[in-house]
Amino acid sequence: MIDLYAWATPNSRKVTILLEELGLAYRLHPVQIRLGEQHRHQFLAINPNNKIPALVDHETGIQTFESGAILIYLAEKTGRFLPKSGQARAATLHWLMWQMSGFGPMLGNLEHFSKLNPGRSADAEAHFQREIRRLYGVLNGRLGETDHLNGDAYSIADMATWP
Amino acid sequence: MIDLYSWGTPNGRKITIMLEELGLEYTMHPINIAKDDQFKPEFLAISPNNKIPAIVDTDNGQTLFESGAILMYLAEKTGKFMPTEDKARWATIEWLMFQMGGVGPMMGQTHHFVKYNADKSAYASDRYLTETKRLYKVMDARLANNEWLNGDSYSIADIATWPWVARHDWQTVDLNDYPNVARWYKTIAARPATQRGWNVPETEQKIPMP
Ligand SMILES: N[C@@H](CCC(=O)N[C@@H](CS)C(=O)NCC(=O)O)C(=O)O
Ligand SMILES: N[C@@H](CCC(=O)N[C@@H](CS)C(=O)NCC(=O)O)C(=O)O
Repeated sequence: MIDLYAWATPNSRKVTILLEELGLAYRLHPVQIRLGEQHRHQFLAINPNNKIPALVDHETGIQTFESGAILIYLAEKTGRFLPKSGQARAATLHWLMWQMSGFGPMLGNLEHFSKLNPGRSADAEAHFQREIRRLYGVLNGRLGETDHLNGDAYSIADMATWP
Repeated sequence: MIDLYSWGTPNGRKITIMLEELGLEYTMHPINIAKDDQFKPEFLAISPNNKIPAIVDTDNGQTLFESGAILMYLAEKTGKFMPTEDKARWATIEWLMFQMGGVGPMMGQTHHFVKYNADKSAYASDRYLTETKRLYKVMDARLANNEWLNGDSYSIADIATWPWVARHDWQTVDLNDYPNVARWYKTIAARPATQRGWNVPETEQKIPMP
């Protein structure tokens, strides 16, 4: 059985979408981040970085945080949505990392300045707007060449980016 | 043989340090990002996101960008620096992602707002410096009970994180405030492969010491 600690956010939905695709049974433990539940001791024991999502797999005893790590874990556990070798595996991993390190954090930054704190820093708003336009351009360019990000089939790279 | 397209930056150094650790032969193709080499069509064909590092493995023709993906690829190719035992393997990947999703992008913004545009927005500088210090605290707690980030051995999680910590002076962070991180940092700085990988492409820069 899998315990998933999550909330209705883009990083959590990556994992719930993959779990639903896989048809794996899981128990959802809502962590209300607006109420600060990610700072509770029981949760910090699973993720010392106080962020959702985090997962505990009782079958293997593995517990892991960071959505990208959880996606790779579940894909390898089931042998699905992450090609085992070759350029398709390489491309799945680099587009997943592109989402984890670029698209995800930059959308978060833009949201912080433009949506949650408009007017606080015009410079930061412009900086992140430029970066997000650039990243959408990169994404659109890639999807002009192939149906799915890894150039092969629906994978965890798409599931990480879609939410 | 590995063709490496890179420059002497934190994300670039992850790969030169890894390649030096592995003793793999590689050809360095400098992409001078201060001169916009990353926007040239030849480079965009390999890295459509116009960022270094990127590699082509001429053994099999595979192309990769994103430092985290390149580190996993090289670890899987050689069977080194990513343990195969379950617990240590997932801890490696989780802390690698912590670097990719947190340490890298957030400290990158600290470099942008605190170092390069210090006069632009006090609010933004403060936001990213606060987040940077929070990340150092998380690492310091992890390294208080563990010699290495994955709790097992020197791995791609450490290799990914170390070059960002090497910019602590840019971040206006005093590493001595994080004694466990400082201990870990100095241990890695003393590795011959770190010292070789630091200066590719060749520079005169010294590894900053706290
Ligand atoms: N790189 C992390 C990011 C996770 C993340 O940012 N989670 C947010 C919600 S989407 C969170 O828990 N925020 C609460 C906090 O930072 O206190 C991942 O991909 O899992
Ligand atoms: N997430 C990427 C980030 C790479 C990155 O930010 N590279 C910087 C240098 S450290 C770059 O090439 N910047 C040039 C540009 O953005 O135009 C990775 O880890 O590889």
